[in-house]
Order: sequence, then C-alpha cells, then structure tokens
Amino acid sequence: MLVGDNPFHGISHLSQQRAVARGHDLTNPSYAANLVSISLDNGADGFMFTVSETTLSILRALNKERRRGDLRLYAMVPYAYEFVRMAVLAGGVPGLARKLGQQIALSGNWRAIASGLKGALATDPSSLLEAYLYYETARLRSAAGRKSTIATVMLHELVTDMALALNMEWMFKTHINFMLAHGIRPGFETRNFAYLVKKFEDWQLDFGKVTIAAPFNSVGFQMCPSREECEDALRRMPKTEVIAFSVLAAGYLKLPDAAAYVAKFPTLSGIAVGVSKEQHARETFKLLRGNAP
Amino acid sequence: MIGLGKMALLHASILSALDSVELVSFCEISSLVRRFGKKIMPRIAIVAGVHELADMGLDAVYVTTPPRSHFPIVREVYTAGIARHVFVEKPLASSYSEAEELCALAEKHGGVNMVGYDRRFSVTFGKAKRILDEGTIGQLSSFEAYAYSSDFLGSKGRSKASTRGGVVSDLACHAVDIALWFFGRLEVRSAKVESLLGEGSQDAVDFQVASSARLEGWIRSSWCKEGYRMPEIGVIVKGSAGTMKVDEDKVEVSLGKDAPLLWHRHDLSDDVPFFIGGTDYVREDGSFIRSVLEGSPAEPSFSTASRVEEIIEQVKRMSSASK
Repeated sequence: MLVGDNPFHGISHLSQQRAVARGHDLTNPSYAANLVSISLDNGADGFMFTVSETTLSILRALNKERRRGDLRLYAMVPYAYEFVRMAVLAGGVPGLARKLGQQIALSGNWRAIASGLKGALATDPSSLLEAYLYYETARLRSAAGRKSTIATVMLHELVTDMALALNMEWMFKTHINFMLAHGIRPGFETRNFAYLVKKFEDWQLDFGKVTIAAPFNSVGFQMCPSREECEDALRRMPKTEVIAFSVLAAGYLKLPDAAAYVAKFPTLSGIAVGVSKEQHARETFKLLRGNAP
Repeated sequence: MIGLGKMALLHASILSALDSVELVSFCEISSLVRRFGKKIMPRIAIVAGVHELADMGLDAVYVTTPPRSHFPIVREVYTAGIARHVFVEKPLASSYSEAEELCALAEKHGGVNMVGYDRRFSVTFGKAKRILDEGTIGQLSSFEAYAYSSDFLGSKGRSKASTRGGVVSDLACHAVDIALWFFGRLEVRSAKVESLLGEGSQDAVDFQVASSARLEGWIRSSWCKEGYRMPEIGVIVKGSAGTMKVDEDKVEVSLGKDAPLLWHRHDLSDDVPFFIGGTDYVREDGSFIRSVLEGSPAEPSFSTASRVEEIIEQVKRMSSASK
C-alpha cells in the first residue's frame, strides 16, 4: 500500500476547482511529509511520486526528521507537467532539450554529462535517455538519504504511452537495462494497461523484472481500452509487480467500495492512494490494511 | 504530420494506436529535431519541406506547426495536391482573411477539413450542448465563458508568450469556439486586452458579445491566472428556467428550488480506446479519421473555425480602438 503524491502537486482529477480550493498547505513539503509519515505509521508501505522539486523537498523533510528507516520509494520520471510548462516557456521541444541539457551540465553529475555528450555527438537517443536517468536517480538518491530504498523508478505515463503507440521498443529496453544495471527495479506507468501487456508480449520483454502501474477501479475510469480488457490482461499476466492507481476513480468512488474491488485481484501487488488530511491518512491506510488479502 | 513538437507527438501517438491509420511521415524544419527523430522512429520518414510529401500518396495531413505558418502550409498542401484531407491545430490561421482564403481553398479541393478545437469532444461540453438544444434552462438571456491558465504566471518578459500569438488567439479561442457552438453567431460589442508580461504582449482579455436573439455574453481569458495548473475552459449560462455551469470536469444544472442536477465526466461514458493527453484529443482524432473513411463532413470544419477568427479580429480591432 503506497501513499501517492497527486494532492501534493495540487491535482484533483474530479475537479480542478476542488484542487484550487484545497489551498496551499498540501504543497508545503513539511505538511506533506507529515501526511506521508502518518500514512506509513498507519499501514502504508511506501511513497509513490513523480520526481519534482516538490517531492524531493518532501523526501528531504522525511530524511531530516530521521523518523523512518524503512521508507520504500516508488518514483516516476519525468514530471510531465513541469516538462510541458518548461517547453511552453522555453519555446517548444528544442527549447526544453536545451534547458534540460543546461540543468544536467550544472548538476556536476559526470556520468550524466558524459552520457549526454555521447548522445548529442552521436545522435544517440539511448545515451541521452541514460544521461537523463543518471541525473534523476542521482538527485533522487541525494534527497532520499541512505536509509531509504528506491524500490522502482518508472517512466511516466506520458512517455510510456507515447513510446508504446510509436513502437519505441528501444526506450523500454534502455530504461530496463539502465535500471537493472544500477540495482533498481525498472517500471512503467500507463493508462493503456492491456495495450502495454500486448506490446511487451510482442517484444518479448521479461514481465518478471518490471513494475507496472495502471488504473484499476470498478467504474473503469481511465482503464483503456476498457475495464474488461484490462482485467483480462491482469488475470492472464505472468508473475510481475502491478500497482493499481486511480482506485478511487479520482474521488468518484468511496474507499470501502474501491478496496473491495481491488481485493478481487490477487495478481495486484499494490495500490497507491493520495491523502490530503491527517485524519484522511489515518483512516485510509487503516481501512486498506484491514481489507488486504 | 507537419511539425514535430508536442502536439505532433500527441496526435501521432493517438493515430498510431488506431487500426485504420498508418503514420507515414513527419515534416520538420529543424535539422536537429529531424536527426533525432529519425533515430527515435526509424520506420517513419522525416522530411524537411512540405513539397517532399507530394509523392508519398498521403490520404490526410495534420498541421501542428505554430499558427503563423498554418496559412502557407495548408495552401501548399492543397495546391500541390499533397493530400485531400486536412486537419489543422487551432487556430486555423493568424487572421480572418487568411482563414477565409483557406475555407475557399478547402471548398475548391474537396475532402474533409477540420480544426483542432478539442473541447467540443469533451463529454461534459457535449452534455451541456444537448441540454441547451433541448431547452432545459428555457429562453437564454446571458452567459459568461472563460479560459484560464497559469502558463505564464510569474514569467518575465514577453518573448516566449509572443511566439504563441497572444492569449486571444492561443487560449481565449477555445472559449470563443464553445460559445459559437452553444449560441450561434455572435458580435463583439466591447473589448479590453491587457499586457501583463511586457509592452505589446496580449496576456488577458475581457470582451462583451451579443447575438441577434438578444443574448448577451462575456468572454474572459488570461494565461497569467493563479491556480490553473492545467488550462480550464468553462461556461455559465442563464435562462428563463434555470442556470447551467459547465467545465471540463462536470455539468451542473439548477432549475428553480430543486437540488442541482450534476454530471461528472465519470457519468458520461468518458471512455476511449487509447488514452494519452486526455480523452478529448482521442475522440477528436477518431472523429476526423471516421469522417475521412466515410467521406462525411467533419466538425469543427474550416468554415466553422473561421467564425472564431472573425471574433478574434473584432476583439483586436475594438481593443486597439479603445486605447
């Protein structure tokens, strides 16, 4: 059971107005770190988040308090919203690439810089992806501290789903090989779970080595192409680690109903749920722990 | 696919996931982007000029380049016979006269033509349109439409914002398109454009419109508004029997003293075969491809979208006249 980070970025998929109304407390790293900590005290096993300045600050706050020596991290890269915003401000995709290149160069991470230079000089997208992954894993490790375990680093759904649609098999293989070589389980977040399973079968990728995060809920919210096909794909999958998110269908479902639905799928390894208040954090993970198979 | 930026990748991903579509080529002006594009997608041709698409036997093209280039590119697509069916990302052109010329070209050459006003494919706006058409809230008297984002909030200088052509063409156009779809032909009565990022930039707009049916409306937009992590479009409509509020998340209808009727996206069959970047884009591309395959007209067509350009032109003219 994982505590998710959506509320800490001001996200509510049920209503943007609701996200605005929640106010700024949730984006305060100390407040958010306290919610993560309460969730862990009440049954959550780890923290699932996109790597951004906000979530890295939350990790630093958790690390500073030294309350937890058992924190398991389920990270996603890139933080797509920030990248889209950066592209808007920097003048499109070339501007975004320039900006990211500058950030990597200024990071002083020599492996990232060397890999980036190799990628730029040889027009090699795999080396560029590796440069980016060196950069992200380094800042993740630095913020998380020695006591935390990076359980997985997943590619964000926008990248995963674009790469699936455009048949970018190289991107999946590069990410898997990079993470395995660095002792981290590779992962992929997707809203097209059945499509991903089919592609992985076609490409003969080893399901046993990866983590997949995908929406699972009783109303089929963002389960593409359909709830039935995603459930079928989940049932027939070989042994792997699948984490369900959007289990509350973005606040549309009640927690007990959501818990009853996911309990029907023993092949689900975990679920991720966001919390926005202390009481909410306590109740959510107590209830989920009580419903765990 | 003409252009290889984020909108091109979004549409290319959606189209590639459809069984009936084969993505043949990208056309991209930047040699650096072309070089990496060829490595990233080795099975897809990537060319430098629009004329290089001429011998590929294309059925349809998508134009996803910056708005100021839409007119010359679409004109070349038609006149060089590159493809019969054309999809253009919004806005159609950078002026009303260009939009009119593209409408005439489309009429002359035939085929399906469509402009990427994706909010029309949102299940909530679709529901709202049906509610209005059924007359649920009675005789319409007034409306407020808005389009807000935080894209340039805290940004310094106007240079990056100016490449997008100003908030009226870039963001307010969505609210204008929805207003035209809901209420039919509108005329601008007064308009005020604000520069928040620097002299000459257009960052917030507020204008009043009216219809021949005595409906009055106000359209407001800003890309420097706090709290809009994602752009949001919404409309509030008042009628003789009640009020309707719609945004991308929900539709709410209040009729007299009864509790409001509420529909979230979840209640409105917001399903798509492949999810990327939101469900509206997927339905939009699906609709265009279906029209191409069936030979039926698509909406919003060039002709429909040129009405947005007409309003934008009136706004710009009135705001400069009032300075």
